[in-house]
Amino acid sequence: MLVSALNIVINGLLLGGLYALVAMGLNLQYGVARVLNIAHGEFIMLGAFITWAMYTKFGINPLLSIVIVGPIVFIIGFIIQRTLFTSLRTSAPSQPAFEGSSMLASFGLLFIIQNVALIIWGGDMRAYSYYNFGINLGGAVFAANRLIALIFAVVIGIAFYIFLVRTRIGKAIRAAAEDPTTAGIMGVNINLVLALCFGLGAVMAGLAGVFLSMCFPIYPVMGLEYLIITLIVVVLGGLGSIPGSFIGGFILGLIGSAVSSWQPSLALAAYYFIFMLLLIIRPKGILGK
Amino acid sequence: MLDINHLDTFYGKAQALWNISLSVDKGEIVALVGSNGAGKTTLLNTICGLLHPASGSISFLGERIDGLTPHAIVELGISHVPEGGRVFTSMTVRENLEMGAYTYHAWKRKDETIKQVYQVFPVLKERERQLARTLSGGEQQMLAVGRGLMSRPKLCLFDEPSYGLSPILVAEVFRVIKSLREQGITILLVEQNVRQTLEVADRACVLENGRVEVEGACDRLLTSDYVRKAYLGL
Ligand SMILES: Nc1ncnc2c1ncn2[C@@H]1O[C@H](COP(=O)(O)OP(=O)(O)OP(=O)(O)O)[C@@H](O)[C@H]1O
Ligand SMILES: [Mg+2]
Repeated sequence: MLVSALNIVINGLLLGGLYALVAMGLNLQYGVARVLNIAHGEFIMLGAFITWAMYTKFGINPLLSIVIVGPIVFIIGFIIQRTLFTSLRTSAPSQPAFEGSSMLASFGLLFIIQNVALIIWGGDMRAYSYYNFGINLGGAVFAANRLIALIFAVVIGIAFYIFLVRTRIGKAIRAAAEDPTTAGIMGVNINLVLALCFGLGAVMAGLAGVFLSMCFPIYPVMGLEYLIITLIVVVLGGLGSIPGSFIGGFILGLIGSAVSSWQPSLALAAYYFIFMLLLIIRPKGILGK
Repeated sequence: MLDINHLDTFYGKAQALWNISLSVDKGEIVALVGSNGAGKTTLLNTICGLLHPASGSISFLGERIDGLTPHAIVELGISHVPEGGRVFTSMTVRENLEMGAYTYHAWKRKDETIKQVYQVFPVLKERERQLARTLSGGEQQMLAVGRGLMSRPKLCLFDEPSYGLSPILVAEVFRVIKSLREQGITILLVEQNVRQTLEVADRACVLENGRVEVEGACDRLLTSDYVRKAYLGL
């Protein structure tokens, strides 16, 4: 009994770290650039497949892939914001109109990225084995690669938070999230900051993909499933609240782990249930304003 | 220092400014007055790059600035205290001031500048670590003025800095504006307190329906029949 409870908690935390990382990325894109990026899951998929390809083709250590995946998805995200979303933003008559049109555009992006991935990698499930031995912690057993994923997710989350609070650019991001016009008259280059946020959001998804590929099988259409979970985490933590997403990721991970231990096929249903419940009782989320 | 020539600004198809010409010389306080909806905020927003004029030109220190982005204009030495203050409510008082010093050159001297702003507004130092949303309306307004000084500007655009302040604080804001001029900062001031404004400013420009109605030295305007009737209620 005690061991199984420990198992649930550990697995929940391990899963939660990944959720937290992806959700912080989505929240950064929505909270600052105001793009509800439906293609966010595709960046997870890209990160996962690049890591898998590097490992199986060239034997590159998956953890080393961080420095390959990070820059690649950052540049893709940065360019997408600079071109597609910047032109949508300047042509939109109002903020809500932009949020609508950018969401639709990101849907298109989802299909483009997904199809390119299907052409390159085919539709099969892929997996590889890396640090796949069991670790025993007081009776609870889990794979070492998942612990690595958790540690990285937590370190990245905390480092990013410190970046937001302490640095000049981090403060500009927070100011731009609250009032981009006024941030502009303070001297902030708004288009650059939005592109930076979009790129950083993509990096968080891409790195989550790196860790995910070490722990679970991957496939080119995996993005959508993770997107839905991510949206739920973001709403749970509060739209626009980065710490909220971090905490929300762990909460949803724990819930998912508890439900799965009882009835694995019900995890996603439980997420939806929480989502609907939340929209009714506390739509602004745990830390939302 | 600032030269505005034959400026027209539109919101979509609606014209808000018509053929505005105005110049501000170095070291001057120039007041911009006029009734609600006259176009004062629109003019300041066009100068600071938030709006782009359909025709006409704006030059600052001899350089054309219409067409530049707001962040490029701040770099040249123009700061803008927007209507209503618009402080960053989710950031602390100190962080708001730091944001005012965002430009590359101002950032290097921000700690020194913050000390100077705290001398002008001691209440901001007391509230340093508080979130700006927990400040009173008047304190937020002072924070907005302080933040506007953080970029060490050559020209300050103030949009109703005394709005919503008690008479004592209004006097305080006017005192600060006068002391800024003594430090060599040039000021373009939008105000509703017409009498007090005309007393501190050197020159004033009266806008009506997006057009310059009268312009001239303040002592002359204070005695002009038009201004006395329309704005001083005499
Ligand atoms: N964003 C906008 N879109 C369309 N029209 C606008 C917009 N902002 C202002 N206007 C119009 O432009 C005109 C000038 O407005 P502006 O805000 O410049 O006036 P103001 O002199 O600053 O007035 P107040 O003293 O009330 O602040 C008004 O007729 C107003 O309705
Ligand atoms: Mg106004």
